[in-house]
Amino acid sequence: MAKVKIENLKKYFGKVKALNGIDLEIGDGEFVVLLGPSGCGKTTLLRSVSGLEKVTEGRIFFDDKEITNLPPKDRNISMVFQSYAVWPHMKVRDNIGYPMKIKGFSKEEIEKKVLWAAELLNISELLDRYPAQLSGGQRQRVAVARAIVLEPAVLLMDEPLSNLDALLRVKMRSEIKKLQERLGVTTIYMTHDQVEAMTMGDRIAVMLSGRIQQVGKASEIYHKPANIFVAGFIGSPQMNFYKVKTVSEGANLFVEGEGLKVPIKKDPNVDKLVLGIRPEHIYLEKEENTMEIEVEVYFIEKLMSDTIVHANLDGGSRIVAKIPGDHEFKEGEKIKLYIDKERIHLFDPKTERRLDI
Amino acid sequence: MIKKILFWFVVVMVAVWFLTPVIMIVIASLTPSSEYYNPNKIFPSHLTFEHIYKLLFVLGGWKATLISIEVALVAIGLSFLIGLPAGYAMTRYFFPGKNAIRIGILMTRSIPLIVIAVPLIVIYMEIGIADTVIGVALAHTAMILPFVVLITSSIFSGVSVEYEEAGMVFGLSRFQSFMRITLPLALPGLAASAIFSFIMSWNEVFVASILTLTNRTLPAHILNTAMTSPDYFKFAAGTIMAIPAMVFIFFTRKYLITMWGISLK
Repeated sequence: MAKVKIENLKKYFGKVKALNGIDLEIGDGEFVVLLGPSGCGKTTLLRSVSGLEKVTEGRIFFDDKEITNLPPKDRNISMVFQSYAVWPHMKVRDNIGYPMKIKGFSKEEIEKKVLWAAELLNISELLDRYPAQLSGGQRQRVAVARAIVLEPAVLLMDEPLSNLDALLRVKMRSEIKKLQERLGVTTIYMTHDQVEAMTMGDRIAVMLSGRIQQVGKASEIYHKPANIFVAGFIGSPQMNFYKVKTVSEGANLFVEGEGLKVPIKKDPNVDKLVLGIRPEHIYLEKEENTMEIEVEVYFIEKLMSDTIVHANLDGGSRIVAKIPGDHEFKEGEKIKLYIDKERIHLFDPKTERRLDI
Repeated sequence: MIKKILFWFVVVMVAVWFLTPVIMIVIASLTPSSEYYNPNKIFPSHLTFEHIYKLLFVLGGWKATLISIEVALVAIGLSFLIGLPAGYAMTRYFFPGKNAIRIGILMTRSIPLIVIAVPLIVIYMEIGIADTVIGVALAHTAMILPFVVLITSSIFSGVSVEYEEAGMVFGLSRFQSFMRITLPLALPGLAASAIFSFIMSWNEVFVASILTLTNRTLPAHILNTAMTSPDYFKFAAGTIMAIPAMVFIFFTRKYLITMWGISLK
């Protein structure tokens, strides 16, 4: 168990800047998720922390000890790999016990801890099998058991659930989170799945182009995305974006464009803006602080629990709304929707940063 | 039905095509000399190991066999000592000129060994390793090494790098991780390529003939002695040459096939 501090970390592969100045602090026992699309640098960041990748510049600390240039074996870390990397030539028992065997623990100690870890992961009856005789989900459990058997300072997880089927993934999600809470081990978990990130992480670091775009609790990232990328990356369906301008009518301020005109409270002092509205913040019924718009239904997706309405605004722009429940709309039908005025987002199109209003 | 008949017909034809000469050689090598030249006999009345025995223990075949084995083992040892790390590096690391090196290695296979054998014997005489086991073994190393580099690189690429990285994360150094994780996983393929290298050296005749005079390897020795002897000695020599290679291949055929990246059901 340790705090992790990453300072101005850079990693270049030739001219490609895989990491371009990462600063991140992780508290003792915290579960931090690195979230981002492929190629954003999250793999490189995780591998740099593990020591499997040498960094070009910057420093990494575990507690107050600098580990930037230590080989992986001296960092007291463990890792769950995407392919699990459960050694095929060893039985499950030996796989789990191997990290302890390397460090020279006695046979009795190893046996005791292996049984403990196997019990935690519900794989006690598989100990004498070879990995080839296990299913993907079981192999994954072995990989996690191996990673926790030595109680590492930092546990790294490289998309551990991405090779599991959807049902198992949901189950393992909660199990890994519970296990992490129970062990209190500092964990860096990498994923490109926003649902995993939202449900598991104490905090989420959203990455793009080798930089951390925003770090924060799931609610902060969802309600106050720091820039256009984060706003668009988090949430499904994606946030609606519109190019708008500020207009004032008497004392009232509006942003207007692409067939929308939404009142705002404070002058952002920028002429041109990007307006963002999440599909789930557009309602079918009039509620407090909403604003009515009239749209023409273009296409609907019925998920039964929700209905996703793709519709055209007056100006021809598209708007997507996520309406709870199962609704029937005809294509071409004119309907009224209600935008939640309190939950709109504004961004500066030049810097792409959030504007607080 | 017709398909099936056709299938078995082809199978039998191919088997006959390959096996007939081998069977004929073995039978001829075991035929008593009195019956071999008898035109009225196709199959001998009884079999004898006399020719094989004579070839091995009277005509110096046994000594040549031992030299062949020595040469092959030294050649394998040297080419794996150099080729294994090279193959590993070709798979696991990126470095400038990697493709050029790969093609360069392949190019060396396009030069017939016989071409370099003559200049080689001149150099060998200068440094005093002409007509020695080590001399032939070095030449065979040159022949086997490119094969070892390319094959081991493909064998190592078949062992996921994550196994090795897992070893490093859980407390091994890179070298330890290679020894304890990657090597055991690659072992069947490496053993197969070692055996294949053995057969390459075992079967090589031109260079060995040129580089040695008294310390001849088995094929060079046979080329020299048996070819001037009666036919049944030639066949006995053929049997001695073919059997070890066939036995090796029989036991390692599964790994030999995976080594070349082909899979059978």
